[in-house]
Amino acid sequence: MGDIFSRILTYIFVIIIYLFIYAIIRMIFLDIRAMNRKKSGGLAEAYLKLINLRRDLDFVMDESYELDEDEVIGRGNKCTIRLPDRYLSVKHCRIYKSDGSYYIEDLGSTNGTFLNGDELTDEAVELMDGDKISIGRLNFIFVMPKSEG
Amino acid sequence: MYSETSSVKPLFYIILLNLVGAVLISIQYGGANLEAVVLTGAICLVSIVSYTVVSAAELGDAYLFLIISVLGSVGGIMQMRIKPEYGVRQLKWFLVGTACYFGAMLLYRLMNRWLHRLVPLYFILSVALYVATRLFGKTSHGSKNWIIIGGLSIQPSELIRIFFVLSLAAIFTGAIPAKYREKFGIRPKYLRLLAATFITLVNVGFLLLQREWGISLLFFATYFFFIYVYGASRLYLLLNAIGAAAVGVMGVTYVSHIKVRIDTWLHPFADASGKGYQITQSLFAIGEGGMAGRGIGAGSVYFIPEVHSDFIFSAICEEMGVVGGLAILMLYFVLVYRGFKIALSCTNAYNKAVAFGISFILGLQTFIIIGGVTKMIPLTGITLPFVSYGGSSMLTTFAACGILQAISGKKEEITDEIQ
Repeated sequence: MGDIFSRILTYIFVIIIYLFIYAIIRMIFLDIRAMNRKKSGGLAEAYLKLINLRRDLDFVMDESYELDEDEVIGRGNKCTIRLPDRYLSVKHCRIYKSDGSYYIEDLGSTNGTFLNGDELTDEAVELMDGDKISIGRLNFIFVMPKSEG
Repeated sequence: MYSETSSVKPLFYIILLNLVGAVLISIQYGGANLEAVVLTGAICLVSIVSYTVVSAAELGDAYLFLIISVLGSVGGIMQMRIKPEYGVRQLKWFLVGTACYFGAMLLYRLMNRWLHRLVPLYFILSVALYVATRLFGKTSHGSKNWIIIGGLSIQPSELIRIFFVLSLAAIFTGAIPAKYREKFGIRPKYLRLLAATFITLVNVGFLLLQREWGISLLFFATYFFFIYVYGASRLYLLLNAIGAAAVGVMGVTYVSHIKVRIDTWLHPFADASGKGYQITQSLFAIGEGGMAGRGIGAGSVYFIPEVHSDFIFSAICEEMGVVGGLAILMLYFVLVYRGFKIALSCTNAYNKAVAFGISFILGLQTFIIIGGVTKMIPLTGITLPFVSYGGSSMLTTFAACGILQAISGKKEEITDEIQ
């Protein structure tokens, strides 16, 4: 009786190890997909291009960040674009797409979001190709190649 | 970067795994087992705390420690099943090991700017440890490889592995001080190769004196793959391969200790009750387990010699079956994969080399012992990382993985200083 019971429990034990491995491999898969998305480039309709010199920053940044339908930018874990700048708020600003145009909105950040040098108020503002976005110590150019055509 | 896709699911499985493990141990010893509850509870707690700390403080790869926790849980539960005393001591090592993990991580982060300049120090410390082992060492199983400090037996070669990787990484990626360049008057590429060879020969020499065949193989293979990756000289690689083969053939022919190992590997059943006893018992146990295993607590693991340390994998196969053994192998696969990924995504040349070396050693060590107990390669005594019983192995492997953790979280670039 005890033997059968411990045998069944052992099966469960092994199955849990496999479930754990599955969960980790899933993470790895998502990681790789995220890495590929970053590398592929050019596919996205719009992206943010960093204009700070990367060696002036004491943390590592990518050259550019692709924009999907809805991106939250900030220092926190839940942001879709995480940037390790200390001068950013946890959720700093949001860039989203609506009717084919991109809009930027400040999410109540401490140090504010600047579009071409002007601080954003509560309202969302439409982004144009070549707009300069400044958050924390970082400066970006908003690039949307298609809008020119 | 890593927590883009974070989830607490793996943590949940760890808790479930330990719960089932505690029940299994309690069944085996007839009634609720306090030690098992303490063991599994403590491992769960440590996993939760370290996962939270790593993801909240953004210390890099959040899964590395979780994979180690699962291996530690399986190891702890198996030790507890073999002998409660071992289980309790294993838990102590797990807790101290966790401290080593985070200690090594912090130290590595703090010292990152200097580590590649300390090669002479690593060398002196390694030699001092070897000499101390020669002088004050204790012999166990034909190898003089232990020193006892204040009632604790320590295997210095475990610690020296870390020094070895740090040194090789510095030699292949660091700048060569001008004074050496003038003194020897040869091209930096060859200077690097010669320095690496010198350090390896000294290490392997001392290890062979201690009759540590397995660990000398580990050191040599690490060096070999470092020249493969960084050396950029095919000819030198070939020369090393020929040299190693020559030494190997000489060892097989003239050293009776090695000869016996090879004989028992090729013909284990020729002397099944004598020299082949260890390997045949291990094979019987694995065969007895079959596909699904006999159940934790139901196997007859006490027939296997050294079951709690080198042969723990045979016991796992007997009680959890081939399926369970494969699960353990896959855990190591995922662990080493994380290590190599950290090495690949790291931007600093020195840290990249260190991450490569540590991941390589972890993978190779697993291969040597699992290959050994399953009679795929000649058996040589070495521990199964995080699962085997053994203090110094636990602590140094934890420390090595702590270094991986530090590298995964380290995003600052200091390459210009190194190159």
